[in-house]
Amino acid sequence: MQPLLIDLSIAALALLVFVADLLMPSEEKRGLGHLASAGLVLILLLTFVLDMQGDAFGGAYVLDPLALWFKRVFLLAGALAALIALDPAEQAFARRQGEYYLLLLLSLLGMSILSSARELLLIVVSFELMSLPLYVLTAFTKSSKLSGEGALKFYLVGATSLAITLFGLSLVFGATGTTMLPEIAANAGAIRSPLLVLGVLTTLAGLAFKIGAVPFHMWVPDTYEGAATPFVGFLAVAPKAAGFALLVRLYLVAFAPLSVRFQPALLALCVLTLVVGNVLALTQTNIKRLLAYSGIAQIGYMMVGLLAQTGEGVGMLLFYLAAYLFTNVGAFAVVCAVGAASGSDDIRAYRGLSRRNPALALAMLVFLLSLGGIPFVAGFWAKMGIFIAAWHAGLHWLVLLGAGLAVVGVYYYLRIARSLYLDDPEEGAQPITIGAPLRLALIVCGTAVVLIGIWPRPWFDTALDAAKSFLH
Amino acid sequence: MSASEAWIAAGTFTGVAFVIAAGTLIAAALLRVRARKHSEARTRTYECGEEPDGGAWVRFHPRYYLVALVFVIFDVEAVFLLPWAVSLRSVGAVALWSMLAFLAILLLGWVYAVKKGALRWV
Repeated sequence: MQPLLIDLSIAALALLVFVADLLMPSEEKRGLGHLASAGLVLILLLTFVLDMQGDAFGGAYVLDPLALWFKRVFLLAGALAALIALDPAEQAFARRQGEYYLLLLLSLLGMSILSSARELLLIVVSFELMSLPLYVLTAFTKSSKLSGEGALKFYLVGATSLAITLFGLSLVFGATGTTMLPEIAANAGAIRSPLLVLGVLTTLAGLAFKIGAVPFHMWVPDTYEGAATPFVGFLAVAPKAAGFALLVRLYLVAFAPLSVRFQPALLALCVLTLVVGNVLALTQTNIKRLLAYSGIAQIGYMMVGLLAQTGEGVGMLLFYLAAYLFTNVGAFAVVCAVGAASGSDDIRAYRGLSRRNPALALAMLVFLLSLGGIPFVAGFWAKMGIFIAAWHAGLHWLVLLGAGLAVVGVYYYLRIARSLYLDDPEEGAQPITIGAPLRLALIVCGTAVVLIGIWPRPWFDTALDAAKSFLH
Repeated sequence: MSASEAWIAAGTFTGVAFVIAAGTLIAAALLRVRARKHSEARTRTYECGEEPDGGAWVRFHPRYYLVALVFVIFDVEAVFLLPWAVSLRSVGAVALWSMLAFLAILLLGWVYAVKKGALRWV
Protein backbone atom coordinates (compact mmCIF):
# COMPACT_ATOMS: atom_id res chain seq x y z
CA MET A 1 0.00 0.00 0.00
CA GLN A 2 2.81 2.40 0.91
CA PRO A 3 4.24 3.02 -2.57
CA LEU A 4 0.73 3.81 -3.85
CA LEU A 5 0.13 6.47 -1.21
CA ILE A 6 0.88 9.49 -3.41
CA ASP A 7 -1.40 8.36 -6.23
CA LEU A 8 -4.14 7.36 -3.81
CA SER A 9 -3.92 10.83 -2.23
CA ILE A 10 -4.29 12.49 -5.63
CA ALA A 11 -7.32 10.29 -6.40
CA ALA A 12 -8.82 11.12 -3.01
CA LEU A 13 -8.25 14.83 -3.60
CA ALA A 14 -9.96 14.57 -6.99
CA LEU A 15 -12.99 12.90 -5.38
CA LEU A 16 -12.99 15.51 -2.62
CA VAL A 17 -13.10 18.33 -5.17
CA PHE A 18 -15.84 16.46 -7.01
CA VAL A 19 -18.03 16.11 -3.91
CA ALA A 20 -17.31 19.68 -2.80
CA ASP A 21 -18.41 20.88 -6.23
CA LEU A 22 -21.76 19.10 -5.79
CA LEU A 23 -22.33 20.46 -2.28
CA MET A 24 -21.18 24.06 -2.75
CA PRO A 25 -23.58 26.80 -3.76
CA SER A 26 -22.60 28.14 -7.17
CA GLU A 27 -21.45 31.53 -5.81
CA GLU A 28 -18.66 30.00 -3.72
CA LYS A 29 -17.03 27.74 -6.33
CA ARG A 30 -13.82 29.74 -5.94
CA GLY A 31 -13.01 27.61 -2.91
CA LEU A 32 -12.48 24.60 -5.22
CA GLY A 33 -9.35 26.12 -6.73
CA HIS A 34 -7.97 26.83 -3.27
CA LEU A 35 -8.82 23.28 -2.21
CA ALA A 36 -7.13 21.75 -5.27
CA SER A 37 -3.90 23.75 -5.04
CA ALA A 38 -3.64 23.46 -1.24
CA GLY A 39 -4.25 19.72 -1.47
CA LEU A 40 -1.56 19.29 -4.11
CA VAL A 41 0.95 21.27 -2.04
CA LEU A 42 0.11 19.07 0.95
CA ILE A 43 0.72 15.89 -1.10
CA LEU A 44 3.97 17.42 -2.35
CA LEU A 45 5.12 17.96 1.24
CA LEU A 46 4.09 14.37 1.99
CA THR A 47 6.57 13.12 -0.63
CA PHE A 48 9.40 14.75 1.33
CA VAL A 49 8.28 13.61 4.77
CA LEU A 50 7.40 9.95 4.24
CA ASP A 51 9.67 7.29 2.82
CA MET A 52 7.37 5.26 0.59
CA GLN A 53 9.72 3.68 -1.91
CA GLY A 54 9.03 0.18 -3.06
CA ASP A 55 6.91 -1.64 -5.63
CA ALA A 56 3.37 -2.96 -5.88
CA PHE A 57 1.27 -5.30 -8.05
CA GLY A 58 4.11 -7.73 -8.58
CA GLY A 59 6.52 -5.09 -9.85
CA ALA A 60 4.11 -3.53 -12.37
CA TYR A 61 4.13 -0.37 -10.30
CA VAL A 62 7.23 1.08 -8.73
CA LEU A 63 8.03 4.11 -6.63
CA ASP A 64 11.75 4.71 -7.17
CA PRO A 65 13.71 8.00 -7.02
CA LEU A 66 12.97 8.56 -10.74
CA ALA A 67 9.19 8.23 -10.26
CA LEU A 68 9.39 10.40 -7.16
CA TRP A 69 11.15 13.20 -9.06
CA PHE A 70 8.53 13.14 -11.80
CA LYS A 71 5.66 13.02 -9.30
CA ARG A 72 7.05 16.13 -7.60
CA VAL A 73 7.26 17.93 -10.96
CA PHE A 74 3.62 17.00 -11.73
CA LEU A 75 2.36 18.01 -8.29
CA LEU A 76 4.12 21.38 -8.49
CA ALA A 77 2.87 22.03 -12.02
CA GLY A 78 -0.66 21.08 -10.94
CA ALA A 79 -0.62 23.28 -7.84
CA LEU A 80 0.70 26.27 -9.81
CA ALA A 81 -1.80 25.70 -12.64
CA ALA A 82 -4.69 25.57 -10.15
CA LEU A 83 -3.44 28.78 -8.56
CA ILE A 84 -3.04 30.62 -11.86
CA ALA A 85 -6.49 29.55 -13.04
CA LEU A 86 -8.28 31.04 -10.02
CA ASP A 87 -9.00 34.53 -11.30
CA PRO A 88 -9.43 33.92 -15.04
CA ALA A 89 -11.67 30.93 -14.20
CA GLU A 90 -13.91 33.26 -12.25
CA GLN A 91 -14.48 35.32 -15.38
CA ALA A 92 -14.43 32.75 -18.15
CA PHE A 93 -16.20 29.70 -16.75
CA ALA A 94 -17.43 30.52 -13.27
CA ARG A 95 -20.14 27.85 -13.30
CA ARG A 96 -17.86 25.06 -14.48
CA GLN A 97 -14.91 25.50 -12.13
CA GLY A 98 -15.64 22.19 -10.43
CA GLU A 99 -15.20 20.30 -13.69
CA TYR A 100 -12.05 22.26 -14.49
CA TYR A 101 -10.24 21.30 -11.30
CA LEU A 102 -11.57 17.74 -11.34
CA LEU A 103 -10.25 17.16 -14.86
CA LEU A 104 -6.93 18.77 -13.97
CA LEU A 105 -6.54 16.44 -10.99
CA LEU A 106 -7.55 13.34 -12.96
CA SER A 107 -5.01 14.16 -15.66
CA LEU A 108 -2.43 14.63 -12.93
CA LEU A 109 -3.34 11.23 -11.50
CA GLY A 110 -2.77 9.66 -14.92
CA MET A 111 0.68 11.26 -15.21
CA SER A 112 1.59 10.25 -11.70
CA ILE A 113 0.70 6.60 -12.31
CA LEU A 114 2.46 6.72 -15.69
CA SER A 115 5.75 7.80 -14.09
CA SER A 116 5.59 4.67 -11.91
CA ALA A 117 4.32 2.17 -14.48
CA ARG A 118 6.58 -0.72 -15.40
CA GLU A 119 4.04 -2.78 -17.32
CA LEU A 120 2.73 -2.14 -20.83
CA LEU A 121 -1.00 -2.30 -20.05
CA LEU A 122 -0.68 -0.06 -17.02
CA ILE A 123 1.32 2.35 -19.18
CA VAL A 124 -1.41 2.52 -21.82
CA VAL A 125 -4.26 2.94 -19.31
CA SER A 126 -2.51 5.66 -17.31
CA PHE A 127 -1.45 7.34 -20.56
CA GLU A 128 -5.10 7.64 -21.55
CA LEU A 129 -6.14 8.78 -18.09
CA MET A 130 -3.64 11.59 -18.58
CA SER A 131 -4.67 12.47 -22.16
CA LEU A 132 -8.48 12.38 -22.15
CA PRO A 133 -8.97 15.17 -19.56
CA LEU A 134 -6.39 17.28 -21.44
CA TYR A 135 -8.52 17.23 -24.62
CA VAL A 136 -11.56 18.40 -22.65
CA LEU A 137 -9.58 21.09 -20.83
CA THR A 138 -8.25 22.45 -24.14
CA ALA A 139 -11.85 22.93 -25.32
CA PHE A 140 -12.93 24.42 -22.02
CA THR A 141 -13.62 27.96 -23.27
CA LYS A 142 -16.67 26.76 -25.17
CA SER A 143 -17.49 30.11 -26.74
CA SER A 144 -14.10 30.45 -28.45
CA LYS A 145 -13.75 28.98 -31.93
CA LEU A 146 -9.95 28.80 -31.62
CA SER A 147 -10.34 26.73 -28.47
CA GLY A 148 -12.54 24.19 -30.26
CA GLU A 149 -10.18 24.05 -33.23
CA GLY A 150 -7.14 23.56 -31.01
CA ALA A 151 -8.90 20.84 -29.01
CA LEU A 152 -10.04 18.97 -32.11
CA LYS A 153 -6.53 18.97 -33.60
CA PHE A 154 -5.09 17.88 -30.28
CA TYR A 155 -7.67 15.12 -29.95
CA LEU A 156 -7.25 13.75 -33.48
CA VAL A 157 -3.46 13.77 -33.26
CA GLY A 158 -3.61 12.30 -29.75
CA ALA A 159 -5.94 9.48 -30.78
CA THR A 160 -3.85 8.67 -33.85
CA SER A 161 -0.61 8.70 -31.89
CA LEU A 162 -2.15 6.42 -29.27
CA ALA A 163 -3.15 3.96 -31.99
CA ILE A 164 0.40 4.03 -33.36
CA THR A 165 1.90 3.57 -29.88
CA LEU A 166 -0.48 0.69 -29.15
CA PHE A 167 0.40 -0.99 -32.43
CA GLY A 168 4.09 -0.67 -31.61
CA LEU A 169 3.64 -2.01 -28.08
CA SER A 170 1.60 -4.95 -29.39
CA LEU A 171 4.51 -5.87 -31.66
CA VAL A 172 6.89 -5.60 -28.70
CA PHE A 173 4.61 -7.89 -26.71
CA GLY A 174 4.37 -10.27 -29.66
CA ALA A 175 8.15 -10.49 -29.98
CA THR A 176 9.04 -10.73 -26.30
CA GLY A 177 5.97 -12.53 -24.94
CA THR A 178 5.75 -10.36 -21.83
CA THR A 179 4.34 -7.01 -20.83
CA MET A 180 6.66 -6.44 -17.86
CA LEU A 181 9.41 -3.93 -18.65
CA PRO A 182 12.15 -5.62 -16.57
CA GLU A 183 11.50 -8.92 -18.39
CA ILE A 184 11.51 -7.17 -21.77
CA ALA A 185 14.86 -5.64 -20.83
CA ALA A 186 16.23 -9.07 -19.91
CA ASN A 187 14.96 -10.76 -23.11
CA ALA A 188 15.33 -8.02 -25.71
CA GLY A 189 19.04 -8.56 -26.31
CA ALA A 190 18.62 -12.21 -27.31
CA ILE A 191 15.66 -11.72 -29.67
CA ARG A 192 16.58 -11.34 -33.32
CA SER A 193 13.05 -10.69 -34.54
CA PRO A 194 12.44 -7.71 -36.84
CA LEU A 195 9.03 -7.42 -35.19
CA LEU A 196 10.71 -6.14 -32.06
CA VAL A 197 12.69 -3.49 -33.97
CA LEU A 198 9.53 -2.45 -35.83
CA GLY A 199 7.62 -2.27 -32.55
CA VAL A 200 10.29 -0.20 -30.84
CA LEU A 201 10.45 2.29 -33.74
CA THR A 202 6.65 2.56 -34.11
CA THR A 203 6.27 3.20 -30.39
CA LEU A 204 8.91 5.93 -30.68
CA ALA A 205 6.89 7.64 -33.45
CA GLY A 206 3.75 7.54 -31.31
CA LEU A 207 5.54 9.01 -28.31
CA ALA A 208 7.18 11.69 -30.47
CA PHE A 209 3.67 12.96 -31.25
CA LYS A 210 2.97 13.24 -27.55
CA ILE A 211 6.07 15.22 -26.63
CA GLY A 212 5.70 17.33 -29.78
CA ALA A 213 9.01 16.47 -31.46
CA VAL A 214 9.46 17.58 -35.09
CA PRO A 215 8.07 16.30 -37.54
CA PHE A 216 5.20 15.34 -35.23
CA HIS A 217 4.72 18.83 -33.81
CA MET A 218 1.97 20.37 -36.01
CA TRP A 219 -0.66 20.32 -33.30
CA VAL A 220 1.42 22.13 -30.66
CA PRO A 221 1.12 25.81 -31.76
CA ASP A 222 -2.57 25.59 -32.65
CA THR A 223 -3.45 23.84 -29.40
CA TYR A 224 -1.49 26.31 -27.28
CA GLU A 225 -3.00 29.27 -29.11
CA GLY A 226 -6.56 27.99 -28.71
CA ALA A 227 -6.50 26.68 -25.15
CA ALA A 228 -7.22 28.88 -22.15
CA THR A 229 -3.90 30.50 -21.12
CA PRO A 230 -3.89 29.45 -17.43
CA PHE A 231 -4.11 25.85 -18.61
CA VAL A 232 -1.43 26.12 -21.32
CA GLY A 233 1.36 26.51 -18.75
CA PHE A 234 0.36 23.12 -17.37
CA LEU A 235 -0.15 21.58 -20.82
CA ALA A 236 3.29 22.74 -21.94
CA VAL A 237 5.12 21.17 -19.01
CA ALA A 238 3.38 18.27 -17.28
CA PRO A 239 2.36 16.00 -20.21
CA LYS A 240 5.78 16.56 -21.80
CA ALA A 241 7.46 15.52 -18.56
CA ALA A 242 5.22 12.44 -18.47
CA GLY A 243 6.26 11.63 -22.05
CA PHE A 244 9.91 11.81 -21.01
CA ALA A 245 9.26 9.61 -17.97
CA LEU A 246 7.91 7.00 -20.36
CA LEU A 247 10.76 7.49 -22.87
CA VAL A 248 13.32 6.96 -20.10
CA ARG A 249 11.62 3.83 -18.78
CA LEU A 250 11.08 2.34 -22.24
CA TYR A 251 14.11 3.37 -24.25
CA LEU A 252 16.87 3.64 -21.66
CA VAL A 253 15.83 0.59 -19.63
CA ALA A 254 13.46 -1.83 -21.33
CA PHE A 255 14.68 -1.43 -24.93
CA ALA A 256 18.27 -0.54 -23.97
CA PRO A 257 19.77 -3.67 -25.65
CA LEU A 258 18.35 -2.40 -28.97
CA SER A 259 19.87 1.07 -28.69
CA VAL A 260 21.89 0.56 -31.90
CA ARG A 261 18.59 0.26 -33.79
CA PHE A 262 16.66 3.25 -32.45
CA GLN A 263 19.53 5.62 -31.71
CA PRO A 264 19.66 6.99 -35.31
CA ALA A 265 15.89 7.63 -35.32
CA LEU A 266 16.08 9.40 -31.98
CA LEU A 267 19.05 11.42 -33.17
CA ALA A 268 17.23 12.52 -36.34
CA LEU A 269 14.15 13.54 -34.29
CA CYS A 270 16.37 15.49 -31.90
CA VAL A 271 18.23 17.42 -34.61
CA LEU A 272 15.01 18.24 -36.50
CA THR A 273 13.29 19.35 -33.31
CA LEU A 274 16.18 21.62 -32.33
CA VAL A 275 16.47 23.26 -35.75
CA VAL A 276 12.80 23.61 -36.68
CA GLY A 277 11.67 24.73 -33.20
CA ASN A 278 14.28 27.47 -32.97
CA VAL A 279 13.96 28.68 -36.56
CA LEU A 280 10.15 28.80 -36.67
CA ALA A 281 10.03 30.64 -33.34
CA LEU A 282 11.88 33.53 -35.03
CA THR A 283 8.90 34.57 -37.17
CA GLN A 284 6.07 34.32 -34.62
CA THR A 285 4.05 37.39 -33.68
CA ASN A 286 1.72 35.72 -31.19
CA ILE A 287 3.29 35.15 -27.79
CA LYS A 288 1.56 31.80 -27.23
CA ARG A 289 2.69 30.48 -30.62
CA LEU A 290 6.19 31.79 -29.94
CA LEU A 291 6.31 29.99 -26.61
CA ALA A 292 4.92 26.88 -28.33
CA TYR A 293 7.78 26.82 -30.86
CA SER A 294 10.28 27.69 -28.14
CA GLY A 295 8.78 24.79 -26.17
CA ILE A 296 9.42 22.50 -29.13
CA ALA A 297 13.03 23.68 -29.16
CA GLN A 298 13.30 23.00 -25.41
CA ILE A 299 12.01 19.47 -26.03
CA GLY A 300 14.92 19.13 -28.47
CA TYR A 301 17.44 20.05 -25.76
CA MET A 302 15.86 17.53 -23.39
CA MET A 303 16.17 14.86 -26.08
CA VAL A 304 19.92 15.57 -26.18
CA GLY A 305 20.00 14.43 -22.54
CA LEU A 306 18.08 11.30 -23.50
CA LEU A 307 20.45 10.60 -26.38
CA ALA A 308 23.47 10.59 -24.09
CA GLN A 309 22.04 7.30 -22.71
CA THR A 310 23.96 7.69 -19.47
CA GLY A 311 22.95 8.27 -15.88
CA GLU A 312 24.44 11.75 -16.16
CA GLY A 313 22.30 12.52 -19.24
CA VAL A 314 19.09 11.42 -17.54
CA GLY A 315 20.03 13.35 -14.39
CA MET A 316 20.49 16.52 -16.43
CA LEU A 317 17.19 15.79 -18.21
CA LEU A 318 15.48 15.66 -14.80
CA PHE A 319 17.16 18.91 -13.78
CA TYR A 320 16.11 20.51 -17.09
CA LEU A 321 12.50 19.48 -16.50
CA ALA A 322 12.48 21.13 -13.06
CA ALA A 323 14.01 24.36 -14.41
CA TYR A 324 11.65 24.29 -17.39
CA LEU A 325 8.66 23.77 -15.09
CA PHE A 326 9.24 26.98 -13.11
CA THR A 327 10.29 28.98 -16.16
CA ASN A 328 7.50 27.98 -18.50
CA VAL A 329 4.63 27.99 -16.00
CA GLY A 330 5.87 31.42 -14.89
CA ALA A 331 6.07 32.74 -18.45
CA PHE A 332 2.53 31.56 -19.20
CA ALA A 333 1.34 33.15 -15.94
CA VAL A 334 2.66 36.50 -17.26
CA VAL A 335 0.97 35.83 -20.63
CA CYS A 336 -2.20 35.15 -18.68
CA ALA A 337 -2.00 38.48 -16.81
CA VAL A 338 -1.16 40.54 -19.93
CA GLY A 339 -3.76 38.71 -22.02
CA ALA A 340 -6.46 39.41 -19.43
CA ALA A 341 -5.52 43.10 -19.25
CA SER A 342 -5.09 43.84 -22.95
CA GLY A 343 -7.32 41.16 -24.48
CA SER A 344 -4.57 40.14 -26.91
CA ASP A 345 -1.74 37.64 -27.11
CA ASP A 346 0.13 39.63 -29.76
CA ILE A 347 3.74 40.38 -28.83
CA ARG A 348 2.97 44.07 -29.40
CA ALA A 349 0.95 43.96 -26.17
CA TYR A 350 4.28 43.51 -24.34
CA ARG A 351 5.75 46.83 -25.46
CA GLY A 352 6.64 49.00 -22.49
CA LEU A 353 5.29 46.50 -20.00
CA SER A 354 7.77 47.88 -17.46
CA ARG A 355 5.75 51.10 -17.36
CA ARG A 356 2.42 49.33 -16.97
CA ASN A 357 3.54 46.94 -14.23
CA PRO A 358 7.29 46.89 -13.36
CA ALA A 359 7.10 43.72 -11.27
CA LEU A 360 5.37 41.79 -14.07
CA ALA A 361 7.97 43.00 -16.58
CA LEU A 362 10.80 41.93 -14.25
CA ALA A 363 9.24 38.48 -13.83
CA MET A 364 8.88 38.11 -17.61
CA LEU A 365 12.50 39.21 -18.06
CA VAL A 366 13.70 36.54 -15.62
CA PHE A 367 11.66 33.83 -17.38
CA LEU A 368 12.84 34.91 -20.85
CA LEU A 369 16.47 34.91 -19.70
CA SER A 370 15.97 31.44 -18.27
CA LEU A 371 14.35 30.15 -21.47
CA GLY A 372 17.23 31.61 -23.46
CA GLY A 373 19.84 30.09 -21.15
CA ILE A 374 21.56 33.29 -20.03
CA PRO A 375 24.00 32.71 -17.12
CA PHE A 376 22.83 32.68 -13.52
CA VAL A 377 19.20 31.83 -13.99
CA ALA A 378 17.88 28.26 -13.92
CA GLY A 379 17.77 27.74 -17.70
CA PHE A 380 21.50 28.35 -18.05
CA TRP A 381 22.51 25.47 -15.77
CA ALA A 382 19.88 23.26 -17.40
CA LYS A 383 21.35 23.73 -20.91
CA MET A 384 24.90 23.62 -19.55
CA GLY A 385 24.28 20.33 -17.72
CA ILE A 386 22.65 18.72 -20.77
CA PHE A 387 25.53 19.79 -23.04
CA ILE A 388 28.22 18.58 -20.63
CA ALA A 389 26.50 15.21 -20.24
CA ALA A 390 26.20 14.86 -24.03
CA TRP A 391 29.86 15.87 -24.47
CA HIS A 392 30.93 13.15 -22.01
CA ALA A 393 28.83 10.67 -23.99
CA GLY A 394 30.74 11.60 -27.16
CA LEU A 395 28.00 13.54 -28.98
CA HIS A 396 30.37 16.42 -29.76
CA TRP A 397 28.80 17.72 -32.97
CA LEU A 398 25.30 17.59 -31.45
CA VAL A 399 26.49 19.76 -28.57
CA LEU A 400 27.98 22.29 -31.00
CA LEU A 401 24.76 22.34 -33.01
CA GLY A 402 22.67 22.78 -29.84
CA ALA A 403 24.89 25.59 -28.58
CA GLY A 404 24.65 27.36 -31.97
CA LEU A 405 20.87 27.09 -31.97
CA ALA A 406 20.73 28.32 -28.37
CA VAL A 407 22.20 31.58 -29.68
CA VAL A 408 19.35 31.77 -32.22
CA GLY A 409 16.99 31.22 -29.28
CA VAL A 410 18.54 34.06 -27.32
CA TYR A 411 17.69 36.39 -30.24
CA TYR A 412 13.93 35.83 -30.15
CA TYR A 413 13.72 35.80 -26.37
CA LEU A 414 15.72 38.99 -25.98
CA ARG A 415 13.71 40.69 -28.74
CA ILE A 416 10.69 40.51 -26.41
CA ALA A 417 12.77 41.33 -23.33
CA ARG A 418 14.03 44.46 -25.10
CA SER A 419 10.56 45.65 -26.01
CA LEU A 420 9.42 45.12 -22.41
CA TYR A 421 11.75 47.89 -21.30
CA LEU A 422 12.76 50.04 -24.26
CA ASP A 423 9.59 50.42 -26.36
CA ASP A 424 6.73 52.76 -25.53
CA PRO A 425 3.42 51.19 -24.52
CA GLU A 426 0.67 51.20 -27.14
CA GLU A 427 -1.76 54.14 -27.20
CA GLY A 428 -4.15 54.14 -24.25
CA ALA A 429 -2.54 51.18 -22.46
CA GLN A 430 -3.56 51.08 -18.80
CA PRO A 431 -1.44 49.90 -15.84
CA ILE A 432 -1.97 46.18 -15.21
CA THR A 433 -3.13 44.90 -11.83
CA ILE A 434 -2.98 41.21 -10.98
CA GLY A 435 -4.83 39.18 -8.36
CA ALA A 436 -3.23 37.64 -5.28
CA PRO A 437 -3.20 33.96 -6.48
CA LEU A 438 -1.47 34.85 -9.74
CA ARG A 439 1.00 37.04 -7.84
CA LEU A 440 1.80 34.14 -5.50
CA ALA A 441 2.39 31.81 -8.46
CA LEU A 442 4.67 34.39 -10.12
CA ILE A 443 6.64 34.89 -6.91
CA VAL A 444 7.12 31.13 -6.47
CA CYS A 445 8.24 30.62 -10.09
CA GLY A 446 10.46 33.71 -10.19
CA THR A 447 12.15 32.94 -6.88
CA ALA A 448 12.73 29.33 -7.87
CA VAL A 449 14.25 30.31 -11.23
CA VAL A 450 16.63 32.78 -9.58
CA LEU A 451 17.47 30.46 -6.66
CA ILE A 452 18.25 27.50 -8.93
CA GLY A 453 20.35 29.90 -11.00
CA ILE A 454 22.42 31.06 -8.04
CA TRP A 455 22.67 27.77 -6.16
CA PRO A 456 22.01 24.79 -8.45
CA ARG A 457 24.12 22.33 -6.45
CA PRO A 458 21.39 20.55 -4.37
CA TRP A 459 19.14 20.23 -7.45
CA PHE A 460 21.97 18.74 -9.53
CA ASP A 461 22.83 16.27 -6.77
CA THR A 462 19.26 15.06 -6.24
CA ALA A 463 18.65 14.72 -9.98
CA LEU A 464 21.88 12.78 -10.51
CA ASP A 465 21.12 10.49 -7.55
CA ALA A 466 17.66 9.78 -8.96
CA ALA A 467 19.07 8.98 -12.41
CA LYS A 468 22.04 6.95 -11.21
CA SER A 469 19.79 4.80 -9.05
CA PHE A 470 18.95 2.82 -12.18
CA LEU A 471 21.42 3.83 -14.89
CA HIS A 472 25.18 4.32 -14.81
CA MET B 1 14.45 -18.73 -38.00
CA SER B 2 17.60 -16.76 -38.82
CA ALA B 3 17.65 -12.97 -38.88
CA SER B 4 17.51 -12.67 -42.67
CA GLU B 5 14.64 -15.17 -42.93
CA ALA B 6 12.76 -13.17 -40.32
CA TRP B 7 13.25 -9.98 -42.32
CA ILE B 8 11.99 -11.76 -45.45
CA ALA B 9 8.92 -12.88 -43.51
CA ALA B 10 8.26 -9.34 -42.29
CA GLY B 11 8.78 -8.01 -45.82
CA THR B 12 6.39 -10.59 -47.27
CA PHE B 13 3.80 -9.69 -44.62
CA THR B 14 4.05 -6.00 -45.52
CA GLY B 15 3.92 -6.83 -49.23
CA VAL B 16 0.79 -8.97 -48.84
CA ALA B 17 -0.86 -6.20 -46.83
CA PHE B 18 -0.24 -3.73 -49.64
CA VAL B 19 -1.35 -6.19 -52.34
CA ILE B 20 -4.65 -6.86 -50.56
CA ALA B 21 -5.33 -3.18 -50.03
CA ALA B 22 -4.45 -2.24 -53.61
CA GLY B 23 -6.18 -5.37 -54.96
CA THR B 24 -9.57 -4.49 -53.49
CA LEU B 25 -9.36 -0.97 -54.90
CA ILE B 26 -8.35 -2.21 -58.37
CA ALA B 27 -11.00 -4.97 -58.34
CA ALA B 28 -13.66 -2.45 -57.34
CA ALA B 29 -12.56 -0.13 -60.17
CA LEU B 30 -12.68 -2.98 -62.74
CA LEU B 31 -15.87 -4.71 -61.61
CA ARG B 32 -18.11 -1.80 -60.67
CA VAL B 33 -21.32 -1.09 -62.52
CA ARG B 34 -21.63 2.54 -63.35
CA ALA B 35 -24.95 4.32 -63.17
CA ARG B 36 -25.41 6.88 -65.94
CA LYS B 37 -24.64 10.44 -64.94
CA HIS B 38 -27.62 12.53 -63.75
CA SER B 39 -29.74 9.37 -63.52
CA GLU B 40 -31.99 8.78 -60.55
CA ALA B 41 -30.11 5.63 -59.51
CA ARG B 42 -27.01 7.67 -58.94
CA THR B 43 -28.50 9.90 -56.26
CA ARG B 44 -30.46 7.17 -54.44
CA THR B 45 -29.47 5.86 -51.01
CA TYR B 46 -26.69 3.35 -51.38
CA GLU B 47 -27.32 -0.39 -51.27
CA CYS B 48 -30.36 -1.08 -49.08
CA GLY B 49 -32.74 0.01 -46.37
CA GLU B 50 -35.63 2.36 -46.12
CA GLU B 51 -36.10 5.12 -48.62
CA PRO B 52 -35.03 8.27 -46.74
CA ASP B 53 -37.73 10.70 -45.69
CA GLY B 54 -36.53 14.28 -45.29
CA GLY B 55 -32.95 15.58 -45.06
CA ALA B 56 -30.18 13.87 -43.13
CA TRP B 57 -28.96 17.14 -41.66
CA VAL B 58 -31.59 17.54 -38.96
CA ARG B 59 -30.70 18.57 -35.44
CA PHE B 60 -30.70 15.90 -32.78
CA HIS B 61 -31.46 17.03 -29.30
CA PRO B 62 -28.45 16.51 -26.97
CA ARG B 63 -30.70 14.85 -24.36
CA TYR B 64 -30.37 11.55 -26.23
CA TYR B 65 -26.63 11.90 -25.90
CA LEU B 66 -26.84 12.66 -22.18
CA VAL B 67 -29.07 9.67 -21.50
CA ALA B 68 -26.66 7.46 -23.43
CA LEU B 69 -23.77 8.71 -21.29
CA VAL B 70 -25.61 8.08 -18.04
CA PHE B 71 -26.49 4.62 -19.35
CA VAL B 72 -22.76 3.91 -19.71
CA ILE B 73 -22.35 4.34 -15.94
CA PHE B 74 -24.75 1.48 -15.24
CA ASP B 75 -23.53 -0.51 -18.19
CA VAL B 76 -19.94 -0.53 -16.90
CA GLU B 77 -21.24 -1.31 -13.43
CA ALA B 78 -23.05 -4.40 -14.72
CA VAL B 79 -20.01 -5.55 -16.70
CA PHE B 80 -17.87 -5.50 -13.56
CA LEU B 81 -20.51 -6.80 -11.16
CA LEU B 82 -21.17 -10.04 -12.98
CA PRO B 83 -17.67 -11.63 -12.79
CA TRP B 84 -17.30 -10.18 -9.30
CA ALA B 85 -20.49 -11.87 -8.11
CA VAL B 86 -19.41 -15.19 -9.61
CA SER B 87 -15.98 -15.20 -7.95
CA LEU B 88 -16.82 -13.36 -4.71
CA ARG B 89 -16.88 -16.51 -2.56
CA SER B 90 -13.37 -17.58 -3.60
CA VAL B 91 -11.71 -14.15 -3.44
CA GLY B 92 -13.18 -13.13 -0.10
CA ALA B 93 -13.48 -9.94 1.90
CA VAL B 94 -10.96 -7.90 -0.14
CA ALA B 95 -13.16 -8.21 -3.21
CA LEU B 96 -16.23 -7.14 -1.23
CA TRP B 97 -14.64 -3.93 0.01
CA SER B 98 -12.98 -3.11 -3.32
CA MET B 99 -16.31 -3.44 -5.08
CA LEU B 100 -18.06 -1.30 -2.47
CA ALA B 101 -15.42 1.43 -2.99
CA PHE B 102 -15.89 1.15 -6.75
CA LEU B 103 -19.68 1.37 -6.42
CA ALA B 104 -19.36 4.40 -4.14
CA ILE B 105 -17.27 6.22 -6.76
CA LEU B 106 -19.72 5.19 -9.46
CA LEU B 107 -22.60 6.44 -7.33
CA LEU B 108 -20.86 9.83 -7.13
CA GLY B 109 -20.95 9.99 -10.92
CA TRP B 110 -24.65 9.27 -10.87
CA VAL B 111 -25.31 11.92 -8.18
CA TYR B 112 -23.35 14.35 -10.35
CA ALA B 113 -25.53 13.57 -13.37
CA VAL B 114 -28.75 14.05 -11.39
CA LYS B 115 -27.52 17.22 -9.70
CA LYS B 116 -26.45 18.80 -13.01
CA GLY B 117 -29.86 17.96 -14.49
CA ALA B 118 -28.67 15.42 -17.04
CA LEU B 119 -31.81 13.32 -16.43
CA ARG B 120 -34.27 16.20 -16.74
CA TRP B 121 -36.14 15.72 -20.01
CA VAL B 122 -36.28 19.34 -21.10
